[in-house]
Amino acid sequence: MTGNCPLPLLTLLLTLPVGTAALCLLCKQRPTAARGLALAGSLAVLLIAIGCFILLPTEPGWLLLEDYRWITALGIRFSLGIDSLALMMILLTAFLSVLAIGLSWNEDDRPPTYFALLLLVEAGVLGVFMALDLVLFYISWELMLIPLFFLIGIWGQRGGIAAAMKFFLFSLAGSLLMLLAIIALYVLHGQQSGDYSFALSALQHTAVPTGLAPWLFAAFALAFLIKVPLVPLHSWQADAYSTAPAACSLLLAGVLAKTGIYGLIRFALPLFPDTAQTALPLLAVLALAGVLYGGWIASAQRDLKRLVAYSSLAHLGFILLGLSAWTTTAVEGALLQMVNHGLTTAALFILIALIEKRAGSRQLDELGGLWVRVPRLSAMLLFFALAALGLPGLNNFVGEILILIGTFSVQPLWAVLAACGLLLAAIYILRLLQGVIWGPAHDELSWPDLVLQEWLLLVPLVLLVLWLGLHPETFLEPLRGPAQQLLNGAAPLSLSGGLP
Amino acid sequence: MNDVLIGLIVLLPLCGAGLIMLGGGCWPRRVTELLAVLAVASATVASALAWPLASGDGTTLELFSWLQSGPLQVSFAFHYDRLAACMCLMVTGVATLIHIYAVAYLHKEPAVSRFFALLNLFVFAMLTLLLADNLLLLLLGWEGVGFCSYALIGYWYQKDANASAGRKAFLVTRSADLFLLIAILWLFKLTGTLNLEAINAQAATLPVATVTALGLLLLAGACGKSAQLPFMTWLPDAMAGPTPVSALIHAATMVTAGVYLLCRLFPLLSLSSTAMAAVATVGAITALYGAACALAQRDLKRLLAYSTMSQVGYMFLAVGAGTVSGALFHLLVHAFFKALLFMAAGCVIHLADGEQQLAYLQGVARRHPLLLWPLLAGGLCLAGVPLTGGFFSKDAILMATFTAGGQYFQILGGLGLLAALLTALYSFRLLYVLCGRRQLAPIAHKLPISMLWPLLPLALLGLGGGLLNLPPMWGGNLRLQQLLETIDVNLHPHLSAELVMAATAALLVLTAWLWSRHRYWRCPALRPAGRMEAFFLRGGEADRWQEELLQRPFRTLATAWRQFDEEFLGGLYRGAALLCLQSGQQLRRLTSGRLSHYLTAMALGLSVLLGWLLLQLLQS
Repeated sequence: MTGNCPLPLLTLLLTLPVGTAALCLLCKQRPTAARGLALAGSLAVLLIAIGCFILLPTEPGWLLLEDYRWITALGIRFSLGIDSLALMMILLTAFLSVLAIGLSWNEDDRPPTYFALLLLVEAGVLGVFMALDLVLFYISWELMLIPLFFLIGIWGQRGGIAAAMKFFLFSLAGSLLMLLAIIALYVLHGQQSGDYSFALSALQHTAVPTGLAPWLFAAFALAFLIKVPLVPLHSWQADAYSTAPAACSLLLAGVLAKTGIYGLIRFALPLFPDTAQTALPLLAVLALAGVLYGGWIASAQRDLKRLVAYSSLAHLGFILLGLSAWTTTAVEGALLQMVNHGLTTAALFILIALIEKRAGSRQLDELGGLWVRVPRLSAMLLFFALAALGLPGLNNFVGEILILIGTFSVQPLWAVLAACGLLLAAIYILRLLQGVIWGPAHDELSWPDLVLQEWLLLVPLVLLVLWLGLHPETFLEPLRGPAQQLLNGAAPLSLSGGLP
Repeated sequence: MNDVLIGLIVLLPLCGAGLIMLGGGCWPRRVTELLAVLAVASATVASALAWPLASGDGTTLELFSWLQSGPLQVSFAFHYDRLAACMCLMVTGVATLIHIYAVAYLHKEPAVSRFFALLNLFVFAMLTLLLADNLLLLLLGWEGVGFCSYALIGYWYQKDANASAGRKAFLVTRSADLFLLIAILWLFKLTGTLNLEAINAQAATLPVATVTALGLLLLAGACGKSAQLPFMTWLPDAMAGPTPVSALIHAATMVTAGVYLLCRLFPLLSLSSTAMAAVATVGAITALYGAACALAQRDLKRLLAYSTMSQVGYMFLAVGAGTVSGALFHLLVHAFFKALLFMAAGCVIHLADGEQQLAYLQGVARRHPLLLWPLLAGGLCLAGVPLTGGFFSKDAILMATFTAGGQYFQILGGLGLLAALLTALYSFRLLYVLCGRRQLAPIAHKLPISMLWPLLPLALLGLGGGLLNLPPMWGGNLRLQQLLETIDVNLHPHLSAELVMAATAALLVLTAWLWSRHRYWRCPALRPAGRMEAFFLRGGEADRWQEELLQRPFRTLATAWRQFDEEFLGGLYRGAALLCLQSGQQLRRLTSGRLSHYLTAMALGLSVLLGWLLLQLLQS
């Protein structure tokens, strides 16, 4: 059923947030209407994504394809396509975007512009997950960067501008290199075949000279790994996460990090299969460094958001380790863990925002005794903290154990070191819990416990965390095909009959 | 059809926990309490009814698939065999009594739904651990009990010390769990399955060196939950939790999880004599260490905690000596009398208005006959007085150790005997203090009757526990050993050896009794501690070593890493940015805006260009 959908669903997915953003900007005078619009737009995207997830078969290969002429002179096409991995990521993005908008429901600083920018980020991310043309991909890649820059710089906390600048420069450095690599590939392919095209399916068959391949691969990988981020490219991360408005931290950790990994899976690894194979051990070492270094530093942080930022570094290291182990179980675990990490980190950022709203602080030594005042909120924090800690029965454990089992079968030492990362996770998570929810309350002020709107944000996350923890098959099954294709000579998908 | 019962054993407490968690605030506390007790009681009934299913190779109930990936196939499957059945009956039975006790114990607490939800959740996790058909599900139960223990130790979380104690318990056990996790990963790599029976069946095909390494990893994992050396530091602090929690989790059930794990994988473990010797060594040393520390303790609950550690050490010794039935025998009997002792201790503390120091608890138990007699029974069992349950179970272990063969095991047996002497000493000391004539503390409270009657069945079970596995010498037929014949290494010690053993044990108890009588009867007041006593009072300085060798370096390094990350790595990038900025500033000076500068530059450029062209021309 590849590509035979009567509606241009993918284009719709991409244009919906952009259109809604434009509409938001139009109702400058009516902020409530703008946020309503934003929510409606993001919900519509989510509904389409869920519809696709339920209705489309979970077969390997393209599920939907759309292809239009765009800039014919340069061979640039507007081609979108999704397989079940992309669909899973789209689902995650759509879901987290709804949460991000819900979380910033009471934003009072120029809400129309704010929501429009959030929607543009969503559009950019969706574009990254769907693009099959490298120019389109590059444009989407930059599109998600620019609105985030403004969001962090303008709506962020003190130090936001510096952090936004740092984030922007890091990302730009990476993506410019990637642009060069894309152009190089384009020229090479054009010279070899006479067909000047930016289509992934075409460029994949380019015979890259062995001297050049490592450089091109490195350029791609650098762009993606900065976004993840991987040690030692993570300097922007903690600053950006901690100064960004809550909704942006959520998107940065939950979704943006995944675009890096996705790029690696969809572009960098398939385009340069041989180089990728030789680079995997290096990737594994850096990923392990991330697991241990991130976890260790997380246990010395005082700011909750920075703590979660470094823990994120560790968890993303786990995902990259799974990829570089290059076994079925590990790769499946890594793909699943992308979803798991998105959910858990998003939940933690939401909870930190809710706590900050009440306590006016995120510093561990200024908090404490939360359970006395707001038991339900604390219970939620406990729940998601346990998920992040990797308690069996909750979502993160499933991905981690798959990664560990898959890694151990080829590289026992890597797996053992990564398992030490689990102990570090226990250390920093329990430190967080100890500082935030246990202990006596510092004063007598009473805070409101969770209200309906906050429950609406958290309950779906709770259900998903349990679902993924107890019956991951629903989400694991669609990921099997993409994992297998990645492993089989890294050629993602054969395009026979797909593109016109 | 009856398979459903096995599922019910596990799911009933889970339902109880879930209901209380979600609705605990909506209904009166009586309903919460009733639900909690009913959930566990019905699980007891279910495990009793399911007993026939355990015969033969047991029954497996598969609920649904959990994880599938490549060669990995794991499902929520429960396996009910005799070992699991014995444990299930004990856990659910003791848990029911403790739930009832807890209702009365916490009658002054304003809100109890968190407590009972966690307690039910604990029972669920423990039963999952016991019934797990594969190692991953076992790990789910294993970590689950760890979490419940953490949350319940810190139940009175407003005191920082309690929350810290919970955290310590979690972290110490989790660091041991790391070894278990590695063992699981390795076993999967070697055997391609996580199913416990399949692993045991394939164990014989593995090289001995590998089995030894696996055995040591499993031992380390077991040591964490069971508070054996060197992972024992968390247990004394865990006494910060409410007493019913100490009775259930830190005496009767969770701390025996390590023993259970080793028994489950006994067919694997027994293939390596090195691993077996290591298990026995850890057990014997912990038994001695725990007993020595218990003798020096001045806090009632900490004394019992060290005593638990020491008694679990005996179970490890039993496994190492090759007698699973001996370990299980002691495990069951110990669960009865230690739960009893903790609950009685709770009553004593309640009577003395929260006082836990032995020095102020003299003679308290005398005030209530219903408390005095069960407490005496528990103390005598712990001491190993002949004909009580504790006597038979400890005897069986020492017997097995001495007959296990090899001089090394003789030494371990000697350590076990020494620990038995110390055990009897501290038990009598405890009894003399609590039940002696002298009374210092005024009695402030009345005891609710439901805190007392759960002691009676436990006292009977503890005293008569010997009947579970009575050796032929005493007219019994070793029922437990026969039940477990499939996994047990059958030992048939000589009758005379058995007589000597029993006589020695009885003699030890008699010595201890005379000594304590001399020392504590007349003057039960506790004298200031000598150096030796002070050393053991602080648990052999284990906490200090842990702080100095592990925690402090970890924290220092964490801070160092953070500074490295922020200052050095961040500094590198800042430096690069600064370099760009500076060079930009320098280059900017070129655009000075003066026409003369530009003209000079133009002239220079032009001459260079012309010169180059000229060169080209000359060459051609």
